[in-house]
Amino acid sequence: MIIALGNDHIVTGTKIQISDFIKSLGHEVIDVGTYDNTRTHYPIYGLKVADLVRDGKADLGVVLCGTGVGISTAADKNTGIRAALVNDVTTAKYAKEELNANVIGFGGAVVGEHLAEEIVNTFLKTEYKETPENKKLIEKIDNLEKDNPAQHDNPHFYDDEMKLWNEGYYHD
Amino acid sequence: MKIALASDKGGFDLKEYIKSYLKGKDYDVIDLTEEPAADFVDSSVAVSRAVLDGKADRGIMFDEFGAGSAMASNKIHGMVTANVAEENTSHMTTQHNGAKAIAIGAGIVGPKKAESLVDEYLGVNYAGGRHQIRLDMLEKLS
Repeated sequence: MIIALGNDHIVTGTKIQISDFIKSLGHEVIDVGTYDNTRTHYPIYGLKVADLVRDGKADLGVVLCGTGVGISTAADKNTGIRAALVNDVTTAKYAKEELNANVIGFGGAVVGEHLAEEIVNTFLKTEYKETPENKKLIEKIDNLEKDNPAQHDNPHFYDDEMKLWNEGYYHD
Repeated sequence: MKIALASDKGGFDLKEYIKSYLKGKDYDVIDLTEEPAADFVDSSVAVSRAVLDGKADRGIMFDEFGAGSAMASNKIHGMVTANVAEENTSHMTTQHNGAKAIAIGAGIVGPKKAESLVDEYLGVNYAGGRHQIRLDMLEKLS
């Protein structure tokens, strides 16, 4: 399979470990970044992973930030994406088997390396088991969202926010 | 602080437990599902509407795994829901993500941990500052 992998600057080291792990399972990885520890913003990378999965350029996505909340939420806010934030293997299995999740998220600063690998491995190898009940539920989830075509495959989508950031508008 | 709660069948007993716990701590609890919702989509949408419409300050969603409620509610524009199963994420998501709700999986989290999760989630405030650009970016998404 081809796996899209995205992260923010807090967990780049863990991302590299997960990238190596996914490759060791025989899969191809598209690493959308970020690639170092310079401060950046998780929605950028959640959106990139979502684009790849949505466009069929990747089969599944894996996303991580400090807690996993921000980047998995960003990925989930895309039509065609069902992103699950998990903290354990049980929930990872459920998300794929019952909700046909196509992006898994976890807290790279929360979950340790062995558990992170087991979560990813379980997510990749578990198959969706379609039932009339879960199919209906998935349709209901998908129908909650109105598409925003402007956000897809658009490298300039966040130009305004980045301009403000670079001007010092956002500060602690 | 007004806290909206809702649950499907799988999270109902834990919702009832946390409802009593929060009332004991003098929170203003709005229970949106006195009877279990048909599924976690209905219950998580109910909580999302309550916080997005300003009827509640924060929300807590219950189902069996938590992941489904968070997945469904994050499909709603403007909503940020964190599926939490440990305390660190529970307070960090308020501080860094300004999470409008948390989701708790009753099949994953026991009652004592659930108490701790809601304490951590409700006990802190959003930090703003550099985190706001990320929330503005999320707000632009569908």
